Amino acid sequence: MPINITHYTNNILKDISFSVEDKDHLIILGSNGVGKTTLAKVLCGITPSDTIDVNGINPSKMYGEKRARLINYIPAKLDVFDEFITVREFLELGLISAVVVGQHPTTVDEILDKLTIGHLSEKACKMLSSGESQLLLIASALLHDARYTIFDEPTANLDPQKMQVLFSILKDNSHLQSKIIITHNLDLAYKLGYDILFLEDGAIKFHGSNDDFFEQAHLDKLYDGSVLKENNNIVVKL
Amino acid sequence: MKKVTLLFALILLVIAPFFGQIDLPLSSLLDSDSMEHKVFFDIRLPRVLLAFLVGGILALGGLIFQTLFRNPMSTPFTLGVASGATLFTAIAIVLGFYTLSPLFAFGGAMMTVIILFIVASRFNAYDSTSLLLVGIALSFFYAAALMVMFYISSLQESYEIMRFTMGSLDIVGFENILILAVTSLFLLMVIFKYRYELKLLLTSYEFAYLKGIDVKKTNYILLFAVSVAVGVAVSFTGPIGFVGLIIPHILKTIYKQSADKLILPIFFYGGVFLVTSDLIARNLGTASDIPIGVLTSFLGAPFFIYLLIKRKSS
Repeated sequence: MPINITHYTNNILKDISFSVEDKDHLIILGSNGVGKTTLAKVLCGITPSDTIDVNGINPSKMYGEKRARLINYIPAKLDVFDEFITVREFLELGLISAVVVGQHPTTVDEILDKLTIGHLSEKACKMLSSGESQLLLIASALLHDARYTIFDEPTANLDPQKMQVLFSILKDNSHLQSKIIITHNLDLAYKLGYDILFLEDGAIKFHGSNDDFFEQAHLDKLYDGSVLKENNNIVVKL
Repeated sequence: MKKVTLLFALILLVIAPFFGQIDLPLSSLLDSDSMEHKVFFDIRLPRVLLAFLVGGILALGGLIFQTLFRNPMSTPFTLGVASGATLFTAIAIVLGFYTLSPLFAFGGAMMTVIILFIVASRFNAYDSTSLLLVGIALSFFYAAALMVMFYISSLQESYEIMRFTMGSLDIVGFENILILAVTSLFLLMVIFKYRYELKLLLTSYEFAYLKGIDVKKTNYILLFAVSVAVGVAVSFTGPIGFVGLIIPHILKTIYKQSADKLILPIFFYGGVFLVTSDLIARNLGTASDIPIGVLTSFLGAPFFIYLLIKRKSS
């Protein structure tokens, strides 16, 4: 069952319609302020709208585990109000209430190790660096394990090693069923190979396969020659 | 550290009723006909229990408000519940219904809650900042109306109103204590029922929402429960400031744990704080007891600033 958005319009976005099939992935590209985060919040129901349908359900109109299982959104920045909530506590909250901790297929410790942040488990979330926070958010996404997971700029603050950890997780399709990834990192988008949705001036300018998007001629048209494909890498001319 | 504090607090609670303007020798307490027995059981003990329960409710109310509004300066009085109670007490006094003033106070508190919820129901989405601003606007409105009450009241009535705004723990008998005990239990039960939701809200609204929580409903239920409990407490004692603001912060500094684990400690130490303040107020040797609200602020403010300096410099 797909996630569907039909003719969504607000003050920045204009007539947005697309769908993502079950087990498919999508990368959303577009310049700053074009409405990517707004779109993500509409998709997951944080911003209510009647134009959205996930598996026949409008996420903003239902509560409980069923919705939580369906769709999750990982913001660009970790937001924790309480100054003493630890990494472990935060992740245990990510296990939805009905799931008994012991029965969950993956435990908090396994996930922490996978993301190379096992040593931080007792540290307060507020004390983490921005890169560590980013990995913590990814960990919570894996534990939450929704049908659709939307990542909002998951690579923004990562150092090269952490970037590789993240890439392998986003690339590995055994983890999350369907991923929607908002990013500015064109090389990441290219290497993941998922379909691309490109937003410009609040509208969908391109929605199609990765190969078509990363044709040099197409890139030239979109980015005025500032993005080059060299030796199978996407490079931004500085 | 925690165990020593707990032991000290327990001893304090036990000995509190034995100290006051009149000495009560233990031997005469056992004689049920003696004046000492009457003073102890009808005045001292209810007063200590009242202080404990009200302190607990105010401190816990502070914790919940600070969490729901994501604002460390919120107190149970932020939404104007106490100002509503004060205004209506003043109205009761001016109209000559002095004996009914607790009922008026409770009515004032509840009217405030109802106004807030009617306004909030007009908002599209849950919006804590706007709700906070509505509460502050209401407080100012009540303060102005209170001035009118002062203006039209006689000297004696003005004094009564003033006395209520300073907070007072004067109480006789156990009936009112029972009401407060039931109120405390109700508040604790609601908070425990929503403990998981509360912990999620300690991260962020969005995070809680994405875990399936109906954030708006949870917030309203908790705000309502706190406001009712605080309304009951204030109707007996008047607005006792500062307990709701500082106790949650002090406990967080000492325990260094997330707020959801501090529900019972904050209730307990909120109670201990008010009992202690009252104990001091009753034993300063002045001709009449110093108003409790004055003392909580005198004790609390310096200690609070000390803790903040200590935390920020380490």
